[in-house]
Amino acid sequence: MTSKTSDKGENGENNGGERFTGHGAEWRDSGLGARDAATATSWVEQRIDKRAMLTNKQRVEDVRDAMWQLEKEGEIAVHRVADEHKPVIAKTLYGWDKKVPTDRLWHHKSCGQCGNIPGYPTSLLWLMNKMGYEYLDETDQTSCTAWNYHGSGIGNLESLAAVFLRNFHQAYVAGRAQGLPDGYYYPLVHCGTSFGNYKEVRHYLLHSAKLREKVKSILGKLDRLVDGKLLIPEEVVHYSEWLHVVRDEVAKHQEIDCAHVRATVHPACHVYKMVPEDAIYDDDVLDGNRVAVSTSVLQALGAQVIDYRTWYDCCGFGFRHIISEREFTRSFAIDRKVRVAVEEANADVMIGHDTGCVTTLDKNQWISKAMGDEVSLAILADVQFAALVCGAHPYKIIQSHWHASPTERLMEKLGIDWEAKKAEFEAYLKEVEAGRPEHLYDPRLAITSGPGFKPITKQT
Amino acid sequence: MSEAHGTRVQEHIGDPVSEAPVVSRDTLEEIFDDIQSDLRYDFELNGCLNCGICTATCPAAHYYDFSPREIVQLLWTENLEGIYDAMQEKIWACAQCYTCAARCPFGNSPGGLVMLMREAAIKHGMNSAKEVLRPFSRVMLKLVSTGNQLSPDMITADHFPDWGPNVTKIEAPLETLRKAIPMATLNTTKTAWEVNMRTSVELYTIWEETGVLDQLETIDENLFDVITDFMDEKRDDWEDFLDEQEDENDE
Repeated sequence: MTSKTSDKGENGENNGGERFTGHGAEWRDSGLGARDAATATSWVEQRIDKRAMLTNKQRVEDVRDAMWQLEKEGEIAVHRVADEHKPVIAKTLYGWDKKVPTDRLWHHKSCGQCGNIPGYPTSLLWLMNKMGYEYLDETDQTSCTAWNYHGSGIGNLESLAAVFLRNFHQAYVAGRAQGLPDGYYYPLVHCGTSFGNYKEVRHYLLHSAKLREKVKSILGKLDRLVDGKLLIPEEVVHYSEWLHVVRDEVAKHQEIDCAHVRATVHPACHVYKMVPEDAIYDDDVLDGNRVAVSTSVLQALGAQVIDYRTWYDCCGFGFRHIISEREFTRSFAIDRKVRVAVEEANADVMIGHDTGCVTTLDKNQWISKAMGDEVSLAILADVQFAALVCGAHPYKIIQSHWHASPTERLMEKLGIDWEAKKAEFEAYLKEVEAGRPEHLYDPRLAITSGPGFKPITKQT
Repeated sequence: MSEAHGTRVQEHIGDPVSEAPVVSRDTLEEIFDDIQSDLRYDFELNGCLNCGICTATCPAAHYYDFSPREIVQLLWTENLEGIYDAMQEKIWACAQCYTCAARCPFGNSPGGLVMLMREAAIKHGMNSAKEVLRPFSRVMLKLVSTGNQLSPDMITADHFPDWGPNVTKIEAPLETLRKAIPMATLNTTKTAWEVNMRTSVELYTIWEETGVLDQLETIDENLFDVITDFMDEKRDDWEDFLDEQEDENDE
């Protein structure tokens, strides 16, 4: 690793001013001179760092330029990230600005998270409540349909585009149910595949008049045009980007010290390899060499971020493979990710920020017993880890019981009495069965039209 | 077999040791035209020097007889027989991670091109597509009929025995555990979240208008029948709701 001037202590525990701890508490500087260090790392930089992507910079356009032009020509309407959404500017791969809204957010949920790892969205909403951010979680949204598309090939560019525009239009008008103006809420996408897919679709929508014409006719039938135009969001924003820009604020709510936790990060392919020019990089996070989200949050919370050689690999989800080519999925997840993180990085946890990755890495560990060489590692989403160290209940909020991986071991390391918390939750289930469940928000707000809708006027 | 039109493309492609019917050159051209006519094609294929970076970084290439470099080369050289051959099995090995796309010095997207080939395999009702997608029918049924791609009642130890006994670590009925999630939209078992009736009905229009239902019918007629029945039922429910609303407004 390149030798960097830093003010970290002998054990690397104080990372003030340090950008990349490399191998955690046991890490020692190589002592190489600047030239030798540069030589030693140059091959890595050429192959896997963002600099490799920068070679394409001259040929990549900022698709938002095309968007503003089309708006000027009256071809589309743009849902803006307004001041009311309290945006924070982050830098993307090529140093372009991305406006990340932090307030008045419309949760575009993930089917995989909600169906399988519900502590993912609940942790996000819990943190928003804690920090006083306003949001809407409602029923009027579909999946992005991209998991099915990438897995099966059923679907096409037009169907993906129509679903994108339909859901984002609903985000734009969702406030009407509470007497709020259009554009009040801004969509926040939970799923990494939805995020990548929607950005790819936006690119094609902005470049193809034919595609726009086709989907405009569909959106017209659905009564989902704005002044007769397609509505395109100024930014497509992933929840991990929201967490990235509010990380210092999150850290102010931290209750549990995690400086001794060795965390590995699995960046999600569809978050930073699809439409890579829109992924967030930050010079203060891993020297700006890798996608910043998740790592930045762990650093803000004081955890040790540990490198491992297969960080760049996918998780093995494969979309189709997790259903029908499971041997591939579990082999890849175990041998290329979990085992490396455990044996090479001696990790306590692997942190993800996408639906399929967290599911794949979490669920495909038990089967390693069959090989007689069991490997296990707690798997959590960044937002779950953040909520956990901010004092969220491990079962009511983090919903850790849906995780097959040994989250209990991580909790013990954090000093959390998980057995006591589990007993509390089991007692709470009696309350649930008696019809007294707790909610993170007024459940009446969840239905914005159709059967069950009751108008609730909100004071702005 | 004779050479057709003075090109290297054979009149027919067939396996000399199998009983499978030969494929005509017209069909090969039709399949390639379908792939090539997608507007994404020109964005996703820009050239190829066979550098192999895509294959070196490809997870599927570790485990299958699959190479994104080969896919790009077949398309770039318009090797119609090779394209058809790759559509029998290879294209289904791709894990759709797009690592290849992020790495390609030419800005190609082999993973994206695989999707165009998968769509064409479905459009042409290839047996490979039918066989490969059979285990995916539960997901498709869930998605097309509800707008959700999966649901809690699909994630059980019975369905995924290799996930082990800890699919959930607390012994309680699924319904109770779902009601204990503090988001009102998630207190469901048959869908990942409660989906508004209007949402599903709007999605049906999208499926119809974009040809997705035609794809389904080609690949699995029984599934198509089940889904269209479900759609009709839900649309009737929606119409009934609208009628009731109108009556209430009139009173």
